[in-house]
Amino acid sequence: MNEHQLLNISSSPHVRDGKLTTGKVMLDVILSLMPVTIVGVIRYGFHAFLVILLSVLSAVASEYIFDRITKRPNTITDGSAVVTGLLLALCLPPKAPLYLPILGSVFAIVVVKCLFGGLGKNFLNPALTARCFLLISFGTAMTNYSVDSVSSATPLAAFNAGESVNVMSVFLGGSTGVIGSSALALLLGGLFLLVTGGISWEIPVSCIAVFTLFMGLFGEGGFTPSYLALQICGGGLLMGAFFMATDPVTSPVTSRGHLVYGALVGLIGGLFRVFGSSADSFSYAIIITNMLVPFIDKIPVPKPLGYNNGEYKEREFPKAAVNLTVITLVAGLVLSGIYAMTKSKIEEQELADTLASYQEVCPDAFSFEFDDDLDTAIESLGDDVYDESFGRTYVNTAVVGYDEDGEVVGYVLSVTSSDGYDGDITLSIGLTTDGTVIKLAFTTLTETAGMGMRVDEDAFKGQFEGVNTDAFILNKSGDSTEDNEIDTVSGASTSSGAVVNAVNTALAFFAEYIG
Amino acid sequence: MKLKTFRGGIHPPEYKELSLGSPVKSFLPKGDLVFPVNQHIGKPAKPVVAKGDQVLAGQVIAEADGFVSANIVSSCSGRVKAIEERRVASGAKAMCIVIENDGEYTPFEGVGQKHNAGTFSSKDILDAISRAGIVGMGGAGFPTHVKLTSKTPDSIEYIIANGSECEPYITCDDRLMQEKSRGIYEGLRLVLQLFPDAMGVIAIEDNKPEAIKAMEAVCAGEKGVMVQPVMTKYPQGGERNLISVVSGRDLKFGQLPADVGCIVCNVASLYAIYRACYYSEPLMKRYFTVSGDAVANPATFEVPIGTSCAELVEAAGGMKPGVTLKKALSGGPMMGIAMPSLDAPVTKASNALTLLAEDEVETAETQQTACIRCGRCSRVCPIHLIPQMMADAAERKDYEKYEHKLYGLDCIACGSCTYICPAKRPLMQLFKQAKAEIMAAKRK
Repeated sequence: MNEHQLLNISSSPHVRDGKLTTGKVMLDVILSLMPVTIVGVIRYGFHAFLVILLSVLSAVASEYIFDRITKRPNTITDGSAVVTGLLLALCLPPKAPLYLPILGSVFAIVVVKCLFGGLGKNFLNPALTARCFLLISFGTAMTNYSVDSVSSATPLAAFNAGESVNVMSVFLGGSTGVIGSSALALLLGGLFLLVTGGISWEIPVSCIAVFTLFMGLFGEGGFTPSYLALQICGGGLLMGAFFMATDPVTSPVTSRGHLVYGALVGLIGGLFRVFGSSADSFSYAIIITNMLVPFIDKIPVPKPLGYNNGEYKEREFPKAAVNLTVITLVAGLVLSGIYAMTKSKIEEQELADTLASYQEVCPDAFSFEFDDDLDTAIESLGDDVYDESFGRTYVNTAVVGYDEDGEVVGYVLSVTSSDGYDGDITLSIGLTTDGTVIKLAFTTLTETAGMGMRVDEDAFKGQFEGVNTDAFILNKSGDSTEDNEIDTVSGASTSSGAVVNAVNTALAFFAEYIG
Repeated sequence: MKLKTFRGGIHPPEYKELSLGSPVKSFLPKGDLVFPVNQHIGKPAKPVVAKGDQVLAGQVIAEADGFVSANIVSSCSGRVKAIEERRVASGAKAMCIVIENDGEYTPFEGVGQKHNAGTFSSKDILDAISRAGIVGMGGAGFPTHVKLTSKTPDSIEYIIANGSECEPYITCDDRLMQEKSRGIYEGLRLVLQLFPDAMGVIAIEDNKPEAIKAMEAVCAGEKGVMVQPVMTKYPQGGERNLISVVSGRDLKFGQLPADVGCIVCNVASLYAIYRACYYSEPLMKRYFTVSGDAVANPATFEVPIGTSCAELVEAAGGMKPGVTLKKALSGGPMMGIAMPSLDAPVTKASNALTLLAEDEVETAETQQTACIRCGRCSRVCPIHLIPQMMADAAERKDYEKYEHKLYGLDCIACGSCTYICPAKRPLMQLFKQAKAEIMAAKRK
């Protein structure tokens, strides 16, 4: 050996876990996503594969190009762009037009990640933020889950519409939804990450636990096992709890922080699922909670060894869990209290709305009065569906409109259809004495913003006005020629159909009891 | 029985088998022996010999300067060649006494004289330890007679013999426990004599079954002494974690083990106490492991203190053919000190020389990425700190937060966080610097 050779010196430690690099961490996430990716591709075919491929490629390419343009070191080898691209693709509909994955990936990588400083610096989950960006900008394409031109609702939407849903099929991934919707495959991947130490147990466990508790308390199905199983397996909960909320960059650092954060995601996700109108409760829940992470990180760090008289190990976890349970319960009680207090006010408001809608749809009338014969007819219908050919529609009230001279100028019928995309649609329908439609006005409408809600636009409901027919027909291709054909609201055929059925119910009722 | 352990820690590759193969050989160097006067924590010893003096093996060549200091003893016979500044393992310069070895190892008068130390009083034991210049031989180098001098000996409940040896590569304590179990046991007995209410616990990681067997054999049937196997996990041998595991009590920054009724002694120190009391033998030799993937025949040797590392490498067969030495460590890879050259002596507190053909730090530097906040550092921290936040505060020089909100001074510098970090960030370096700056500000 050369006597004067200088040896390497450095501060200890002198060894590193050579197998564990950022690239390996990302590779583990990719591996854990393989089951759900494979199930998705097998179920939805080549187009789904194309969506995934384009999403991943454009994520990697946009990071590479960004690095080049901004003269930064090339960072694509850390694998995080691949993970982002893959996660985004798994949250897209299987038949998504191919510009969606490309646009989404570029947005995720460039806007959400790179502009905020790159890996480790972004404060929002890139894949989820891109999904929300696409949802807002391309609502129709993002929620069109039809495969092979057969349109069908996602399991949660179908359940909300009152259909029975096969939970087992949802669990295995046989239902309608995004590419990565197989609950079983997601659980497998999540388990893999838990076992290999890729994620900690705190976030998924507290998220799912709080969500389940919340749905049990406030969901319409209560603590029915099949209802809870559907709520857990359907929608974005599992993908969110295991893969999105656990993104280390956008979640807190301490295990205590993980518990709080997971619980918040579960709570907000539950709130949105029960009371919200959007089908994407968890995308938004996680992004909102991402923004709270700097505050969660302010929770004092656990006291280290030596500051708790040796009882540290036993005391730490139960205390945090008890605190969380208390917080969740208090929040739940407060929410239910507010709901109870506002309920009667809501009913008063609804009555006023109903009266206003009468005036709106029958503007020539000076006063509205109930008619005994009509009331009897409605009473005899009871709680039954009016006519099964119209789906689940119910006639609520029928009033007669009189002018100042006491002459009958029209009738207003309030009809509810329970076949809306997201719950009941109730509308008042004004008819002239010969049964011509005067106007429609919605009193209850909670459809998807930008989609189902558009039935309230004149472009749609104006189609009914001034038409005298036995029944309207929904035209899904949007090329109506006849007066009684109604062009569907693009991307909201469920909502459109419910409205047409409700109007047809009113016409049928008119024909039978009035005309 | 369920193995005791602590929360956190890591499992780096052990490589213990490299040097465990053969029984320990005595190695007697032919070249000069070098004795830094600051081989311990405390004031450096004062040389009591002059250039040109003849010395014998076992003769005190530098005396303790005050209470917190330790004698330095020549481990060979020969002539004082120089008293000058030389580079030690860390690369820093230190005052050293250089002895030109005559190769005879002629013992100093009285060294090796047998006593029945079983009848020693506490004062006799402490005097013998003090004369022998014994210090903590696990790496810390704290003078043993200071550690064992207590105003309230009744408050000590545990004497913990540290045989954990959790650093990779190093096997000298393992070997010592296998071969000198009786001596370690007698050393522990002597310490227990100082602390009447204490119980002796010999803590050994379960990857050393032979050592556990040997120590259990000498402890069998004895009262007040037990062997406690502990889980193999780094840093099991760290004082705070060992105390926590054995006694269930936790230390915080600024506390001494005695504050929670514990005293921790390395097994090699206990053996030295035994030799000092029963054989009037000062601390001249120690078990020392030469290992690593760059050296031809890794082994544990019994070597005189002061032996040149370069000469020991020759004794271990030199470098493997075709291998270039990249890094030499005084100690193991987790907490050892990187040596700029092999031209440094074995000291009382150094237990190993680790020779590496690859520098993993160099590789890691090429793999460094931004922190992804994965939290693995917190999961492995044996003190339950949050290294991710500490590094953030240290980088911003927010020492207020570092010290008071994040308990940063409690860091024991074990390096587990740095080992596990997938982003390969130099966490330990940041913490050492932060601690140094905070402590410097406190001294002002």
